[in-house]
Amino acid sequence: MKRIWIIIFFSVLFVAFIIVWNKSYWSGLEESYVSVEKEKPHSYLPIDRGVFSGSERGLRYEEMPYDEAHQRSLETYYDNRAYDGAPPSIPHPVKEERSMGSVTCLQCHKSGGFVSKFDAYAPITPHPEMINCRQCHVTKNTEALFVKTEFIKKEHASVGNNNALPGSPPVVPHHIQMRENCLSCHAGPAAPAEIRVTHPQRENCMQCHVLKMQEVTDREMNTTKFSLP
Amino acid sequence: MPIKSYIVLPYDGEKETLVKSLKSIAGCEVAEATNEEIILLVTDTQNEEEEGQLKEKINGVKSLKFMSMVSGYSPENITSSTS
Amino acid sequence: MKVATNRREFLKKMALLSAMTTAATMFPGILFAEDQVAGLEGLDNLEWKKSPCRFCGVGCGVLIGTQNGKAVAVKGDPASPVNKGLCCVKGYHSIMALYGKDRLTKPLVKKNGTFVETSMKEALDLIASKMSSTIKDHGKDSVAIYGSGQWTIPDGYTASKFFKGCIGTNNVEANARLCMSSAVTGFMSSFGIDEPMGCYDDIDYADVFVLWGNNMSEMHPVLFSRILDQRQKRGVKIIDFATRTTRTSMAADKSIIFNPQTDLAVANAICYELINKGRVNESFVSKHCVFKKGETEMGYGLEDNYAFNDKPALIDFEEFKNFLEDYTPEKVSKYSGVSVKDIKYMAAYYGNPNTKVMSLWCMGPNQHTRGTWMNNLIYNIHLLTGKISTPGNSPFSLTGQPSACGTVREVGTLTHKLPHGVVMNEEHRKFAAEIWGVPAENISPKPTYHTVEMFRALDRGDIRFMWIQVTNPMVTMPKLKRYRDATEKKDRFIVVSDVYPTPTTEIADVILPSAMWIEREGMYGNSERRTQHFEKMLTPPGDAMSDTWQLVEVARRMGFEKQFNYKEESHIEEIYNEYRKHHAGKKHNMAPYEVLKENPGMQWPYVDGKSTKWRFNEKYDPACKEGSEFDFYGNPDGKAVIWQRPYEAPPEMPDEEYPYWLCTGRVVEHWHTGSMTRRIPVLHQAMPHAYVELNPEDAKRLNIATGDLVKLTTRRGEITVPAAINLRGVPEPMQVFVPFFDEHMLINELTLDAFCPISKQPDYKKCAVKVEKA
Repeated sequence: MKRIWIIIFFSVLFVAFIIVWNKSYWSGLEESYVSVEKEKPHSYLPIDRGVFSGSERGLRYEEMPYDEAHQRSLETYYDNRAYDGAPPSIPHPVKEERSMGSVTCLQCHKSGGFVSKFDAYAPITPHPEMINCRQCHVTKNTEALFVKTEFIKKEHASVGNNNALPGSPPVVPHHIQMRENCLSCHAGPAAPAEIRVTHPQRENCMQCHVLKMQEVTDREMNTTKFSLP
Repeated sequence: MPIKSYIVLPYDGEKETLVKSLKSIAGCEVAEATNEEIILLVTDTQNEEEEGQLKEKINGVKSLKFMSMVSGYSPENITSSTS
Repeated sequence: MKVATNRREFLKKMALLSAMTTAATMFPGILFAEDQVAGLEGLDNLEWKKSPCRFCGVGCGVLIGTQNGKAVAVKGDPASPVNKGLCCVKGYHSIMALYGKDRLTKPLVKKNGTFVETSMKEALDLIASKMSSTIKDHGKDSVAIYGSGQWTIPDGYTASKFFKGCIGTNNVEANARLCMSSAVTGFMSSFGIDEPMGCYDDIDYADVFVLWGNNMSEMHPVLFSRILDQRQKRGVKIIDFATRTTRTSMAADKSIIFNPQTDLAVANAICYELINKGRVNESFVSKHCVFKKGETEMGYGLEDNYAFNDKPALIDFEEFKNFLEDYTPEKVSKYSGVSVKDIKYMAAYYGNPNTKVMSLWCMGPNQHTRGTWMNNLIYNIHLLTGKISTPGNSPFSLTGQPSACGTVREVGTLTHKLPHGVVMNEEHRKFAAEIWGVPAENISPKPTYHTVEMFRALDRGDIRFMWIQVTNPMVTMPKLKRYRDATEKKDRFIVVSDVYPTPTTEIADVILPSAMWIEREGMYGNSERRTQHFEKMLTPPGDAMSDTWQLVEVARRMGFEKQFNYKEESHIEEIYNEYRKHHAGKKHNMAPYEVLKENPGMQWPYVDGKSTKWRFNEKYDPACKEGSEFDFYGNPDGKAVIWQRPYEAPPEMPDEEYPYWLCTGRVVEHWHTGSMTRRIPVLHQAMPHAYVELNPEDAKRLNIATGDLVKLTTRRGEITVPAAINLRGVPEPMQVFVPFFDEHMLINELTLDAFCPISKQPDYKKCAVKVEKA
């Protein structure tokens, strides 16, 4: 009897071996062809991508007292942007010229907080998943220009003129590409005072605040003029 | 420099007269809808005092039925919200 | 608070706009008269139009916001499969390059050493008469045109048709010779047809990325971000194989440093290791590849009139194997500075049949005195393992200029090229002549000068007239002084078409103001064979005229009205439609004009209404023979070539007098010679001038700190540059790095004009330099 069990045991092992071996043999023979899924429509940045990210901080923001001595204002907010929507340049010296943002920039710009060295609160990036920060954000090492520019800086959006009715929720007066996460600029101690939202705990911003300028969602809208009502 | 905009409704059939009289007042700019009896008014004055005078003038216009402010700017509250 | 009047007007408009919006919500369907709305439309609602980015060869889709006839904002085009909505700092600020205060708006003619304004008509008359008289006195081959990969497709096509077809000289070259030609000869010798088989979509499938001397984080940041994104999602591996530590090294999972020029040996060692470990994909190699060897010890082209022709000879696998015996990891490790372990590490990734590998490179292997070989060697690795032409398995040669592929390589604005084929081939000449409407005898069967030799010919007096468009050779030529002196010799006539004053316009006899980018209509072709159209969105300033139309005007004045009978309002469409005829057929068909206008670019071969993403693979490429699986149809036998290419030393190595290696390159902020990006305040303020990077140990020994002035001397010249220690990059000990964008600190005064004998592309990455504290 004992012998039968031993035989069964080894034959099971043997069968298992054959199965495993076969599987690995056949998968080794598989051609390296990768099937490409049927062409999908382009992966657009959905307009509300990231609107909810960072919302877990909303409640915390609500409890945060206003630190009026260290508030930013809208004017300075636009100072280091070439136009409304341009990536801001870095207004402070950087620690490490070479490293990826994931090890330097994000230390402060992921969650924010007070930085005593600069006597300011670190603004929070709306896109922490993009870590080659210096691809778009550069430092300022001189005030001088190579040649004067005649570029016209467009008036940026201002506050107080975006309501349809007295008391109605203001529309979003700027484009949101690359800054779909509303709370990163509109809440917390680093938010410019004028645009700091009174109700950061409400996550679904676009429920009430709609885009004044439709983000482009298809080619049609890219190429045709938006018309007024 | 208060700048304010209003939605203005005329009495029935008096739209033309209202546009004319509003246009004749200094500091008023008018835009009218083509398919509704509605007029948009933008006022532009140097200070609060002038603003008050202008308002009285506008209120004196007979063909005006109803007027409601939509938005306003003044030097002090460029950043304040109407809400 | 001081308030400007325009601010007041603006507020009034805003007030009116709010009222309108409100009225619209209260009374749906309300309408206002056109003129009332007119002034307001531009207020928030910019007009957005698509274009490829003006700068590098990645070819990102951008949306340009215009208002009142000015470009005021940029967004990444979410519909573009290239960048999917993300740009880099240059792209986001690209429109500001249109508005530098010193924009050239009037033609200028040099009279007694100073430039005098003139009318466009007179300037074009002068150019035409000067060209005609030069041809009469010195022959057809005494006039030349030098353009670049910044030429739009119609620019390059017009230049080629005018010079090669009508005048009958092959004196057509482009700056791309200095940056892409090794990639071209690499493709031609390995596959018989130019440009990558794969595309950017490979990034979404590959498991391992090997960057060959390519600081991608700064040079191709948008594609690098796509790789980083994949790493976050799928945990892919990035290997940075370079001579210097950069941001890319910091981001990579593994940074491997090699000694200059030894990339040749390391690539061979990887092949050795693949064979030694039995990792060769034998069925692929036997079905789809042949082995060849070429000439060795070819020289470096340092002498005038240097000529070289490779003589390929078939060899067998055994001979190739024996050749590789000299490249065991152990032997190569001794002089490459790469450890045996690291060579085997790379070979293991290439050799693993379950790993998909993408190799990426740009100027490292291209600007190399053995550039063609280096390109061949990377293909060798992919061919031996069969990792090619399938999604994720991709040797991918990146480009630096927006249309290096689209114009220089596809239209063929190089001395030996025609839009389809080469001038040496009679069939090809006849084919082109037919479309161009010229007698076939017009096209000369003999290639003339490649770029370096063209400037040498100008120096010697063989060339007397040169027209330079959209490029800045007085910053980019190696061993600059000789070629600058050449242009200033008596009896040389130089025409420069540009948008800003540069060191090149300084040496011009006539300067033509050009319309730039979206001030005219055009097309660019990027690295992944994608042709992208942009329309005219702005009016060019002053008399500025597109390069295409400048050429058309002069060609007509020289009696070629028939060949250049285009209508001004539709000439770009007409030229593009004519150009397409050269590429008809499954192997290279270009998308129709209407399709390009509607889409964020299309990849050639465009067959049956579809872009081809992976060439040479029967599953994706309709040009492949049926049942072939893989068909490298560029070569008559349908097979790709695995080349036996040895390691050879560079022409100049550090010695006692000049003990350091000098490498040159770019920074993320500036593009090419900086004539555009330096006029963008944000970019100039971020990177105001050139610098020299030293290894911290060397700096310490020489007592040099960041900001100290350093004198660099080579056998060609000297310059003084401030030092940068431990900043953007860190070179290895006894090596220095200097970016070339700064026209006030011209590093190319120092570089050597040695080039790859096959591609004729100079090596800007290696020469010997002396370093002293100034």
